[in-house]
Amino acid sequence: MAITESTSMRGSKPSSSILNNETFRSIVFQFVTVVCIFGLGWFFVTNTIENMSQRGMSAGFDFLDVSAGFGISFTLIPYTEGDSYFRVFQVGIANTLLVAVISIFGATVIGLIVGLMRMSKNWLVRTIARWYIEILRNTPLLLQIIAWFFGVFNLLPRPRNSLDWGGLFVLNNRGFYMPSPIPGDGFTMTLVALVIAIIAAVGLRRWARKRQEATGKYFPAMSVGLAVIVALPLAIFLLSGAPLAWDVPVLQGFNYRGGMSVPPALCALVLALAIYTSCFIAEIVRSGVQSVSHGQTEAARALGVKPSWTMRLIILPQALRVIIPPLISQYLNVTKNSSLAIAIGFPDLVSVWMNTSLNQSGRAIPIVAMTMAFYCIVSLFVSLIMNAYNRRILLKER
Amino acid sequence: MSDSTNTTRTQPLIFQPKPERAAPPSTVGVVGWMRQNLFSSVSNTLMTILGAYIVYVFLASVLNWALFNAVWEAENRRECLDLVGRSGACWPGVIEWFDNLIYGLYPKDQIWRINLGFLALILWVAPLWFPKVQSKVAIGISAVMLYPFLASYFFLGGDKGVFWTALVSAGLTGLIWVWLTVFTELRYGTSFIRTMGAILGNSGKSEEEQLKFGRLSLIGVFVIAVVLVSQWELSFVSTRQWGGLFLTLVISGIGITFSLPSGIMLALGRRSTMPLIRMICTGFIELFRSVPLITILFMFNTMLPLFLPVGVEVNQLVRAIVAVCLFAAAYMAEVIRGGLQAIPKGQYEAAAAMGLGYWQATTLIIMPQALKIMIPTIVGNFIGLFKDTTLVSIIGLFDLLNMARSVGEDTRWLGLFIEPFFFITMIYFFFCFLMSQYSINLERKLEAGARR
Repeated sequence: MAITESTSMRGSKPSSSILNNETFRSIVFQFVTVVCIFGLGWFFVTNTIENMSQRGMSAGFDFLDVSAGFGISFTLIPYTEGDSYFRVFQVGIANTLLVAVISIFGATVIGLIVGLMRMSKNWLVRTIARWYIEILRNTPLLLQIIAWFFGVFNLLPRPRNSLDWGGLFVLNNRGFYMPSPIPGDGFTMTLVALVIAIIAAVGLRRWARKRQEATGKYFPAMSVGLAVIVALPLAIFLLSGAPLAWDVPVLQGFNYRGGMSVPPALCALVLALAIYTSCFIAEIVRSGVQSVSHGQTEAARALGVKPSWTMRLIILPQALRVIIPPLISQYLNVTKNSSLAIAIGFPDLVSVWMNTSLNQSGRAIPIVAMTMAFYCIVSLFVSLIMNAYNRRILLKER
Repeated sequence: MSDSTNTTRTQPLIFQPKPERAAPPSTVGVVGWMRQNLFSSVSNTLMTILGAYIVYVFLASVLNWALFNAVWEAENRRECLDLVGRSGACWPGVIEWFDNLIYGLYPKDQIWRINLGFLALILWVAPLWFPKVQSKVAIGISAVMLYPFLASYFFLGGDKGVFWTALVSAGLTGLIWVWLTVFTELRYGTSFIRTMGAILGNSGKSEEEQLKFGRLSLIGVFVIAVVLVSQWELSFVSTRQWGGLFLTLVISGIGITFSLPSGIMLALGRRSTMPLIRMICTGFIELFRSVPLITILFMFNTMLPLFLPVGVEVNQLVRAIVAVCLFAAAYMAEVIRGGLQAIPKGQYEAAAAMGLGYWQATTLIIMPQALKIMIPTIVGNFIGLFKDTTLVSIIGLFDLLNMARSVGEDTRWLGLFIEPFFFITMIYFFFCFLMSQYSINLERKLEAGARR
């Protein structure tokens, strides 16, 4: 590497020796590195080809059309045993994204609450939040997932004596059951009304902002918009005769039928992911709010800004600049951590594709490549959004 | 107090301060603190009461379950359930499995080797906390470079050829050297080699000559170590029998020691001006950071045997360790890069102006500063790595988590999950909390140095 014999004369006499020429050395160094890496790659590839021919394995993607022939315990999108391997891949992706979305939502809500508790003026509340964070952050996520699964959801009562809230929500060791909506004939009208209301609210907000910038007059676009979003679909829904029925879970024989059922593995996974990630989100929220100097609050007060507006208009926009980037990377972590589902048998992408399908079809290389490609694409996509966001919120110094 | 309009003063005005009045009793002491922090308003009081209730319910139920209602002696889980049902913990299962949880399936009569191995590590690094020891860097580097040989022989045992004997002896030499140096530095204020040089070489000789004698004495220590090591006969223990906390510590220890230097190299590579090096490092870092650790573990588990020549068998533990190391290195690289980005350009320019080359500037000027500001993040990464080692249980290694899980699969303790999980949660918490508190401590110490 680039250790010079005499450091004192470095660069002052370029003609002294070609070995001291920086460009020459960097080219040689890169050349050697690339040759080494290609050599290593070549070694791996030749070994793999030989190993695979000996074991009668193949690396093609032709198996994707073949029927997988195994069942999957929980699928978000329709799947039957006769479906192809490619369908299994899709099922895995759908399940992974489902877990990620619910956990992200839960983690954000809990994290926000704990983060605010962490900053409370009340010592006891602050301390509770602190120890919540310390304990959960300092124990492995996998341990938490397994503990929730074996220690809580497996020990719940049998369907016959399940915990039940008003007969609508039922929890037992087979999972969590809740009513599922069955839209009637005219229900599409309500959905259309909802879309129209949302568009109207957005338009209202734009108009209000423009008017405020032009004339300085304030219009409560937020509350009026919310009222429109709630009221318009509700009115249409009632006018069209409330065309929505609920499928309520009922005990039949040994188990509950009907409604939406969530398997215990999914409950444990989502709960553990949400709680574990909420600790990190709480700390992110805290550091974000504390990064806004106290002078900002005082300045707002000096200008006569209402206390209820100070948080919304002064503190939050500045805190979000600090909060959003690490928050997004936590969301990405949730997506990656959802792969721990395999430990409790929830069929996510890694479990159903990289484990079951790989063992059954023996196509290690295409399967590993496809799994990694999925996660790479997700993280690439997220980092693109992040970069766009960072460019947008970059401090515009004038 | 005098009248300001009074122009003719008979006596000079002297300011006579009144004695300080004590602060109102409601704002000082325990009562004041409580009024300010717990009962400052109605909503605050309500929150305090609610919080106290939650803490009480939580602590009471945990303590009742874990201590007051717990069963400490029983033959199997049935007995526990008959005695207290689910209201109390059933600790006999955990007590019976204690050795397995800590040492895995390591032969019972050989467990002293693991204890000795970790004792050697503690002995090796303990001098780093002695304030008067000077060669801390050398001791630290020797621990990273030489301790693994000593430890792997303790843990693995078996036949040792000439080469293996030499490496293990080098490890033993390192340990002896550390303590000889500590002794001479505390006693005479010079390192072992210099002290021996001064004693063996006559005082008239030059420093260089004396150092030669000092090094010779180190070779003497090595010879003694070889003699000692060749006496040792440790039976072979296969890595399949490794498990429990021991395995967790081995994997995370190797991962932590490997990740820092390789992360530094990758980070430097990513910031290099050489385009090909930069591309390779960036590609490696981004690939390993964007996929979950479990996919990397699976990949190495299934693909590493394919990558290597026909007939070469790789132990499953080695596969897991390789995967963990590469993963940790990629994460560490990004942390270090963050530190490097925070170093102002003036530092590089100043180093160049002093005539330092790339490696000198990096090792003497840039890296110490970058590592210092990133200490909390680096330790955070170590904690993350320690927690992530639990994932090796998914590919079938019996680490602490998998051992705890198998307690509940033992026929006598069938279904006993919560107790072992509770126990290992405390172990994980102990290690992680210790690391995070140490990093906060270290950060404060270094900050105090910078503040002057």
